[in-house]
Amino acid sequence: MASSQPGTGVSGLARLRSALPFSSRDWGLLLVAPGVLLFSSFMLYPIFYLFYISLTDATFAGSVIGGGAELIGLANYVQLIGDSQFWTSMTTTWLFVAVSLVIKVILAVGIALLLNHVRVAGKRYMRAAVIVPLGFPGIFTITVWRGMFSDARFGVFNTILGRYNDVMSSLSAPQALLFDVPIGFLSGRWEAFFAYVTTEVWLAYPFMVIIIVSALQDVPRSLHEAAMVDGAGALQRFRTVTLPAIKGPVLFASILTAATSFQQFLIPWVFNQGGPSRQNELIIVYGYREAITFNQFGLSAAILIVGIGFVGLFMYAAVRYGGLAEGVGDE
Amino acid sequence: MSSRGSAAGLVASATALVAAAVGLVRSKLVALATAPKRFVVMVQRAIYDVRTGKRSSWDVTKSVLMTLFGLAMVLVLLFPLFWITTASLAEGSRLFNTSGIFPDPSTYNLGAYRWVIFESDFFFVDGDWGYPQLVLGGGDGLVSFRWAGTETGPGAVFNSLYIVSVTLAAGFGMIVPAAYAFSRRKFVGRKRILYGYVLFTQIGAGLSIATLVALYSLFSTYGLTNNLFVLGLFYAASAIPFNTWLLKTYMDNIPVSYEEAAMVDGASFLDTIREVILPLTKPGLAVVLIFVWLAGWNEFIIAQTLLRPENYPLSVELYNIATEGRFSTPWTRFAAFANLFALPVAIVYFAAQRSVEDGLSFGGMEG
Repeated sequence: MASSQPGTGVSGLARLRSALPFSSRDWGLLLVAPGVLLFSSFMLYPIFYLFYISLTDATFAGSVIGGGAELIGLANYVQLIGDSQFWTSMTTTWLFVAVSLVIKVILAVGIALLLNHVRVAGKRYMRAAVIVPLGFPGIFTITVWRGMFSDARFGVFNTILGRYNDVMSSLSAPQALLFDVPIGFLSGRWEAFFAYVTTEVWLAYPFMVIIIVSALQDVPRSLHEAAMVDGAGALQRFRTVTLPAIKGPVLFASILTAATSFQQFLIPWVFNQGGPSRQNELIIVYGYREAITFNQFGLSAAILIVGIGFVGLFMYAAVRYGGLAEGVGDE
Repeated sequence: MSSRGSAAGLVASATALVAAAVGLVRSKLVALATAPKRFVVMVQRAIYDVRTGKRSSWDVTKSVLMTLFGLAMVLVLLFPLFWITTASLAEGSRLFNTSGIFPDPSTYNLGAYRWVIFESDFFFVDGDWGYPQLVLGGGDGLVSFRWAGTETGPGAVFNSLYIVSVTLAAGFGMIVPAAYAFSRRKFVGRKRILYGYVLFTQIGAGLSIATLVALYSLFSTYGLTNNLFVLGLFYAASAIPFNTWLLKTYMDNIPVSYEEAAMVDGASFLDTIREVILPLTKPGLAVVLIFVWLAGWNEFIIAQTLLRPENYPLSVELYNIATEGRFSTPWTRFAAFANLFALPVAIVYFAAQRSVEDGLSFGGMEG
């Protein structure tokens, strides 16, 4: 540690420093070190270890520990490129991220605008109510959604669709508008995908709503009134006043929730373990199953490293375009 | 059981948490209780405005329609939670049947909750309740603690509470000083560490599942599987980046001049921490408390992989109930178990909702 130096920053801190038992410039590092150490040993070290496993032919935990595994270079990665299951999983994952993101943004902007509208009474209570999904454990809410998407004839959504059919046929609507109940939400590929997306949107919209509402509240009322005086219609006001105000925050929130959707594990796992017949395995589920179910630790590690790499890209984008790291540099 | 030693501290922290929760909930209830009155005033004002011609009746109708639309939207969005709550009241009747989505209100009963308390592993294994007993003398030191009156031993809630206490103790011990240092001190590598933390803020949960394969191998190598203490530390580690960053931004908003003023009045460094920094950071600390608590309380896939059944926390037990039947979930029991598991935390969460929102919308807001 460097020898003591008089503080050069904020004047009050100089006095504060001189009152300390030790006055090395870097003692703040001591306060930070335990956290960094714990975090590194439980989060960073496993990532490096995971990379190491991905370079071996380990098949199960015992072969990693017992030394039964040998280094085989990048063979696992090469095997992945030729593996059709890997490409299925990649495509499904990106499709899941894209579709759910688009729906999330539209829904969240709609909710935020409605809950910030002058004509809606009791906005504050409604805002408190719509973010409820955030307060419950994922394992709870996701299992509830699985229950509602039950394949059974009298599952919640199948019952609703049945009622809808009754109403439509009593209006003598054409057959094309009716649903073929019961729908096997968890046993068909795209039905299951639809169920994943719905649940993901429900889990993630509160975060976006919070961020958009707080951006909307920063828009001065006078700006809207000025636009109204100028004769701007509702649509035009949205384009010229509201949109510029929420663009940045929406981009920021989009990148972050896209990163979370990319790593979505619980939804596919709880719904049908990425089924039917492995067609909906999102990337983390794919990696997890290769290790736990199929005893392919090396291959699984390679998959997960690829996944972590993509998450890293998301975070880079968040810092670069979303202003995530604003405030790191300031004093 | 490793949880014996920390029982006293556990009880103390639980009491403090309950007290804080009750206080928060009460202030929310007061606000809620005055809401109908404000609503009536608003309606009267609208009627008066229409009568005196200040607003046209079409104008008022538009407001009413928009409000109804908002209400309908809230109801649709909260439908799953409403459904599961009614389901928890319908023990004994078939949930999926011809009569509709919701169970018949005339069959509502608390049977499922009785099952959770007296038959499931929630409080005690197989619901065989015991009571805490202090033993004087005996083999384990002067005073030892044990459960009496139960043949099966304590259940999942004690494992969960033990994990969470470790997570909270380790998390707070590392987050608060680090946040202070990041906010107030200059030191070598400050920017770099902070940058690294920010990168990890949003990706804790998914990342830990991704590293699970490595974690499992590492923990097995060092003999750390089936260890609740280590698992608690692990959750604390996963919570550190986000919460440190969060608390730092809170502390950044406290003017340095407050500390300076205290120093001028002769306060020592530790006095300024105790008298200035900590009191003014209280809302931030409350949010960090909630987030760190949730980190230890909710996670289940790592717990399930690393622990053996006798050490399962509530989250794993909940998952096991959800998947115990090959083709069907015992919904009423699941719902009752889940409500007892999630509600205490959810109530605190919503009581501190404003602070939580501020915390979640940190950074990127000025975008």
